[in-house]
Amino acid sequence: MAFLNFFNYQVSNSLELFFILSKRDISVRFKQTALGMIWAIIRPITTMFVFLFAYKNVTTITNISGYPIQIVIYSGILFWNLFANSFQSVSNSILLSSNLISKVYFPRIIILFSAVSVSLIDFIFGLCVYFILAFYFKIDVSFNLILLPVVVLITLFLSIGLGAIFASFSVKKRDFLQIIPIIVQYGFFVTPIVYTSIEFYLKPWFKIYTFINPLVGLVEFFRFTLIDGYYVLSPTYILISVFSSISIFLVGLLIFQFKKDTFVDYL
Amino acid sequence: MNNIVSVSSISKKYQLPSTKKEEQHSYFQNIFNKRKSEEYWAVKDISFTINKGDKLGIIGNNGAGKSTLLKILSKITKPTSGLVHIQGKVASLLEVGTGFHPELSGRDNIYLNGAILGMTKKQITQQFDEIVEFAGDQIIKFLDTPVKRYSSGMYVRLGFAISAHLDPDILIVDEVLAVGDADFQKKSLGKMKEVASKDKTILFVSHNLTAVANLCNKTLHLETGYVKQFGETGKVLNNYLSAMQNNLLEQSFNQINLAPGNDLVKLKYAKLTPSLIGNQLIADVRSSLKIDLEFWNLLDNQNLNISLHIYASTGECIFNVGTVPEILNKGVVQASLTIPSYFLNDGNYLVSFMVVKDKSIVLFNFEEVFNFEIADYREETTWYGKWPGYVRPKFDFPIQQVSLKI
Repeated sequence: MAFLNFFNYQVSNSLELFFILSKRDISVRFKQTALGMIWAIIRPITTMFVFLFAYKNVTTITNISGYPIQIVIYSGILFWNLFANSFQSVSNSILLSSNLISKVYFPRIIILFSAVSVSLIDFIFGLCVYFILAFYFKIDVSFNLILLPVVVLITLFLSIGLGAIFASFSVKKRDFLQIIPIIVQYGFFVTPIVYTSIEFYLKPWFKIYTFINPLVGLVEFFRFTLIDGYYVLSPTYILISVFSSISIFLVGLLIFQFKKDTFVDYL
Repeated sequence: MNNIVSVSSISKKYQLPSTKKEEQHSYFQNIFNKRKSEEYWAVKDISFTINKGDKLGIIGNNGAGKSTLLKILSKITKPTSGLVHIQGKVASLLEVGTGFHPELSGRDNIYLNGAILGMTKKQITQQFDEIVEFAGDQIIKFLDTPVKRYSSGMYVRLGFAISAHLDPDILIVDEVLAVGDADFQKKSLGKMKEVASKDKTILFVSHNLTAVANLCNKTLHLETGYVKQFGETGKVLNNYLSAMQNNLLEQSFNQINLAPGNDLVKLKYAKLTPSLIGNQLIADVRSSLKIDLEFWNLLDNQNLNISLHIYASTGECIFNVGTVPEILNKGVVQASLTIPSYFLNDGNYLVSFMVVKDKSIVLFNFEEVFNFEIADYREETTWYGKWPGYVRPKFDFPIQQVSLKI
């Protein structure tokens, strides 16, 4: 019993620390800015306009998905930013809180989880803009929306898992930090973010691809929950990606758990 | 089981990159060849146990492994081998104000820092007013100001105030007490004594032997990572001090060809003798220091003088004193100097001297002839912070009441 009480105490303490660290990051995010939270919206909107410009004036890619291209691009970017921002901040989280880690003991894993808070808040703001956009293009919201938290959670798991791997290795060798922008930059184009997987899902390697790049399945799952009648990928593909994401999450945490005790020696 | 902390043969190894130049060929070779690294044991095979309510002082020179041991005990880092068993909640005052976010207000930082140090929100709220009061009146006005606008003193005071209200079972204190002004130090030490009286266990690392002697019932003496002694404070400190006394501050050369120097002057003899009063074992601020120097002068009819420098361990010169120039002939020349008591403050000092010809030409500079330490000594004091400054004069400084009117 005593052990259980102690354990409970640990968990509730950890949760409190998690919330307070998240709160810190969120409240610091837009300090000394005039526009504040509006910045969270400006980024995805500008990206969307850049691609609209490219599609209308530069390339001749035609939108074969049947949904308004604005909706396809914006929902994709919304999803991508959630993943990319949280992945980047998780990867950097250990190095950024080196002064804490080298001086105080607390469960290190809290740092990973609280690192996604800012991206999640940005995402929620971006989501509000999506609904305005959807209303404008007369896209209905379906019951599938109740699955949205599930996609968001799995996406965050994926970014935490992948981020944990990079965070763990970059403590000793900073080379790993150099890989992160490459993933974020090129991942954007090899994932159906500003296009849909209709364009290539019949390719023979697609099934393997949804496993290697779980973001493919996740982004289509994400659009499925947001856009009424959007049905591009069959559940098999989506489940492969979900499975892959959760595996990465578990592997990431395992690596982190294994490495965490030596962080202080290399920070 | 009464042992609240039991440590069994813990060791901690660090890999230091090799310092040998010739092994670092090029950038690419470093990637492909495994770089050779040297092992360094920060602490080696340390074992001890303490009971609930014990106050353990940890002493030792710089690099003895004190900080590494504290880091292991506070779970910040893991030992390479060995086991640590601790019962109860540990809080460490290793670093005051750790985790403060400069953009957040004092109020937010109290909650943030408290949570990082392991307090629950409820506990912080309960003690909030106490913490603010402990930190001082100044803080109250600035409670909703970002801490980046705080003065460094306010920052430290707020940090310490939070740490002081942690109420752990085991409190680990590094020399944080040395920060802040005298008034605040008094408050901090009072708080520590209050904690001590509540049957809490304290691990206290300090260079200040007086403070250790006053606060701790047990002492662990570390030397280059090993346990040199562990036991009752009185006994350990006595042995420690007598061991320090044995570091003879004397250099003597019988053969001229082995002596340091050049073909103009060579060192023959140098000795530093502190005056020790009563049962005093090592030089402290009360001691006067006598420096005797002898050197061989290898040329006739030289107008020579000695210029002696004393440096602090930080490298700053404390003072430079010279003899008057004398016409000296080939043979042995002797000089002696007495530094009065209550002159140098406690700390580590280096002595160098040079032989100068015609008041301006340096014949030879004998560097780091002595490296000595002066211990602290205080009577009837409640304040154990580091006494500031390099000199510690005892000037006449009378104070008196001149009137009863206000």
